[in-house]
Amino acid sequence: MPFKSQKKDAADALTLEWNLHVKNYKLTLDKNRCVGCEICTFACPKEAIKTEKQPKIQGEKAKKAKVDIDLAKCNFCGVCDVICPYGAIKVTLNNNHDLAILSKDSFPTLIRDIKVDTRQCEKECVECENACPLALIKISKTGFDGKPVENVGALSPTMKRRIQVNLNIDKDHCPTCRACELKCSPGAIKVKKAFEGTIKINQEKCPEGCTDCLDVCPITGTLTLGEDKKVHVNEATCTYCGACKNVCPVPEALTLKRTKVHHTPIHSGTWNKTLERVTSPAAAAKEYRTVAGENRRNVVAKRFVLEETVK
Amino acid sequence: MSTPTQTPPNSSGTQTQKPEELRVGVFVCHCGLNIAGTVDVHAVAEYAKTIPDVVFVKENRYTCADPGQEEIRKAIREQKLNRVVVAACSPRMHEPTFRRTVAEAGLNSYLYEMANIREFASWCHQSDPEGATERAKDAVRMAVAKVRLMQPLQTIEVPVTNKALIIGGGIAGMNAALDLAEQGFKVYMLENTQSIGGHMAALDKTFPTLDCSICIEGPKMVDCARHPNITIFASSDLVKVDGYIGNFKVKIRKNPRYVIPEKCTGCGECKDVCPIEYPNEWDMNLGTRKAISVPFDQTVPLIYQINRDYCIECYKCTEVCGERQAIDFNQKPEEVDIEVGAIIVSTGFDVYEPYDMPLLGYGKYPNVITSMEFERLILAAGPTGGKVIRQSDGQKPHRIAFIQCVGSRDKQHYPYCSNFCCMYTLKHVVQIKEKYKEDVEVYVFYMDIRSPGKGYEEFYDRARERGVNFIRGRVSRIDEDPVTHNLTVHSEDSILGAPIEVEADMVVLATAAIPKKGSAEIARILNLSRGQDGFFMEAHPKLKPMDAPTDGIFFAGACAGLKDIPFSVSQGSGAASRAATVISKPKWKIEPIISVVDESKCKSCGLCVDKCPYGAIRIEQKGKTPAQIITASCHGCGTCVAECPQHAITQMHFTDAQIMAQIRAALQDKPEDKILAILCNWCSYAGADLAGISRFDYPSSVRAIRVMCSGRVAREFVLEALRLGAGMVLVGACHLPYDCHYISGNYKMKARTDALKNMLVKLGMSPDRFRVEYVSAAEGIHYAEVIKEIDEQRKALGIEKIKAENAKLKPIIENMLKRK
Repeated sequence: MPFKSQKKDAADALTLEWNLHVKNYKLTLDKNRCVGCEICTFACPKEAIKTEKQPKIQGEKAKKAKVDIDLAKCNFCGVCDVICPYGAIKVTLNNNHDLAILSKDSFPTLIRDIKVDTRQCEKECVECENACPLALIKISKTGFDGKPVENVGALSPTMKRRIQVNLNIDKDHCPTCRACELKCSPGAIKVKKAFEGTIKINQEKCPEGCTDCLDVCPITGTLTLGEDKKVHVNEATCTYCGACKNVCPVPEALTLKRTKVHHTPIHSGTWNKTLERVTSPAAAAKEYRTVAGENRRNVVAKRFVLEETVK
Repeated sequence: MSTPTQTPPNSSGTQTQKPEELRVGVFVCHCGLNIAGTVDVHAVAEYAKTIPDVVFVKENRYTCADPGQEEIRKAIREQKLNRVVVAACSPRMHEPTFRRTVAEAGLNSYLYEMANIREFASWCHQSDPEGATERAKDAVRMAVAKVRLMQPLQTIEVPVTNKALIIGGGIAGMNAALDLAEQGFKVYMLENTQSIGGHMAALDKTFPTLDCSICIEGPKMVDCARHPNITIFASSDLVKVDGYIGNFKVKIRKNPRYVIPEKCTGCGECKDVCPIEYPNEWDMNLGTRKAISVPFDQTVPLIYQINRDYCIECYKCTEVCGERQAIDFNQKPEEVDIEVGAIIVSTGFDVYEPYDMPLLGYGKYPNVITSMEFERLILAAGPTGGKVIRQSDGQKPHRIAFIQCVGSRDKQHYPYCSNFCCMYTLKHVVQIKEKYKEDVEVYVFYMDIRSPGKGYEEFYDRARERGVNFIRGRVSRIDEDPVTHNLTVHSEDSILGAPIEVEADMVVLATAAIPKKGSAEIARILNLSRGQDGFFMEAHPKLKPMDAPTDGIFFAGACAGLKDIPFSVSQGSGAASRAATVISKPKWKIEPIISVVDESKCKSCGLCVDKCPYGAIRIEQKGKTPAQIITASCHGCGTCVAECPQHAITQMHFTDAQIMAQIRAALQDKPEDKILAILCNWCSYAGADLAGISRFDYPSSVRAIRVMCSGRVAREFVLEALRLGAGMVLVGACHLPYDCHYISGNYKMKARTDALKNMLVKLGMSPDRFRVEYVSAAEGIHYAEVIKEIDEQRKALGIEKIKAENAKLKPIIENMLKRK
């Protein structure tokens, strides 16, 4: 029986909806935030998400891969919402963003471990705000009276000392690239990456003059053009999202592996499978071997075929 | 299983032996004025006296009435008749009656033949009494020609499995199951959804008494589950049915629930921890259910089920199920074989969703809903807890418009009346008026209010007394205000004779009830035919409303035409009673019109083994041992007979010699003016009967011969007809691909006749002169039109051209027939 559902593909957002009389399920993909990585495709338990490489037009910059979601397969579970490092997908029920997979402990949340100690901030410094490649950091300063201060340079040294620096980081959309931490000379920001992994570019395999990976990389400075006209990696700020891998024309030229995902403790088959696909069976097995993974392994082993990978 | 077999007749082909002196009696029926009003029955009777071997002719006003039957019995005894011809109605009507009559007089019941002079003469040629009389005379001559060659046959007895299968666990199926189980028979119930109960379990109240639907149905559902004689297969599909009346072998596939039924306690803890919801089809997709759940609280059997299309496999349910270990993600589909003696089909109906009627805006405007959706809104256990609210803003509507006949009585969609929509709309408006009183204004746009049941008209009055606005007129379109999502209904008021517009906050569409999705599949598996409307066809619309054309299969409820609850309940009990007539007997008699092999002629080529639709023919060593027919599996279509290159197979009661004799008798006079039609019993003959019953007039130049299946039509029949100079030849069959009562006889016939026609056209025959037409039992009008068309083609060709062609064809055909 067909039911009332719809899919809208606009320029800046892809929207999927179930219009059930009393329940409205909605998934919104913010195309401006989406970087065309493939983490949601790997994570989706219903295999409803496809990442399609866009054809390259000669002489133009490479375009990021396009994410498309199949309305017939999507069950609005919200796994993609939780796992997207850029926070580009939002799933709501009656405009409420509380996801059942989180409240019922079926899926963990990504740990975006960002620690800020604004006491160490230099009062006039806006380095982190400028460093953030996604413009997610907003610095505001308040005086002793709690009123916002516009022009710090105009204040007397005493007043300057009494300024309170506030760092507003849009954590929901932060891919934890560490660009801010690296720029922060007093060491006021400490960021732990949510995804760990390795990325390598084999410059010998790179086609002459190809900068496709560099064109799509959302974190400025991670990929740079060297003097040899080849692209080089600065792994310090890489989020291991894989947007570059999606557009690389030579499969062997760029290798990217995710080895670990930092997440809240969890005990769920969905997560096990997501982890296996987003990283690799071997990397997932590593997680199972940890003490925290012991119980989970038992549950899985009891019921499931994953035993082989566990061993 | 041991079944007596038929001995091959000592003669076949074109030769016959006369074991005794033939004494044929012909009984011409007036059928009141049904026959005598058009056909000159005296002339027919007088003519019958002149036919060789006819020793006794008698006219009756009503042959089928007791005195008429007594006349036959008396004549058999006194005149020592050894063959009987009754010229009356269709053999599909009274053949069994007269078989009994002749048997009572001590004559073998297979020594009698019927000449159809009512459906095939008086009723279909009312404008041409002379032609009708001529056709009746020819029909009697053909029947005598056949009956002269008939041989006594013994019915075959087969053992009966005294169990029944019920397909579909709605209110009709449940009643059938309970009635049979109470009579002591083992009953299997097959239900393809998760719960029995059908549509009725989803309803709020029932008209006209406003009883709570689930309160009266729930106990019956529980009774079915608890009854020791009933086994329910829910979430299961019908895969295959083999066999025949009394001995059906049924294969059922139990689809995986991923929950072990024996271990599930129905506690529902798994549902509470499941994070995933999906649209609940049983709630008309207005609300949701969990990925592991039951569709509604009263589900029977109460076993949870995981929908793997939506499950994300977090295994929270397995964790909470714990020690009970009822959840098994590795469950596979399981096939179960059962044996039953009778099958009751009660698959019910579906509700049309008018997505393809853009002018009504369903699916586009959020506040346009169907009546079934409204039913779930007003139901206290529904997704809104009984509050009627709009989808667009969640507010209560103050003006509701009900629109009748959406899809029904509509030539573009479903031409029939859906039977119960008027009544359920009346129920809805009464419910609203009683719940919200003056707070909600109600409009009903109707074509006619049809309330022909006990207490139904009074219920209509009750609705009118409550101040409901009834507007007679068909709605042309609905518009929406994009801001408020209020709707404007544009209609005509045929009583005012003016167009009107009504503003409403919510529109409820009373959509058509339509054949169940999957009916085609059920029809294919069980060899059932479906009418033009898509519902199953009964063996007889009036006298056998619950019998399928296939013996041992019965219908209950809306699957064979839409019915409301009381009617479905009575049909459930009725079908149970019909099924009990079969399964209460230790043995069942099967008609001996099966095929037999003349072993001396069989070359063991194996062609018949390939062509038999039922796998009823066996050859142990190909090329060495002769073919053997498994009597109990042979359904008597005669396809093998027509295929056999050696003429080694004979179909009892429809032998080559008998049919050839009929062809010759039909084309005795002025063959060029005649259309020789060979019709299959189940579809095209029934369609031709329907043309008569419906009094569709068509040319009287047609002479029809009945065979059981078009697969029986051998090349020789067509060749013989053309050799004798027939003007036109028609073969009538069931529609391709699945309508054939014998699975695929029509395909075998098609392959054969396609080649034959090509050859004849190459030899110089006009292509129009030989035609294969597919006519279903519901297509009386189509049959009449086909005959009209063929007759016009015959006239257009002209008798001279036909004669010239025949002269050219004759030597070639004679040569071909000689070789055989």
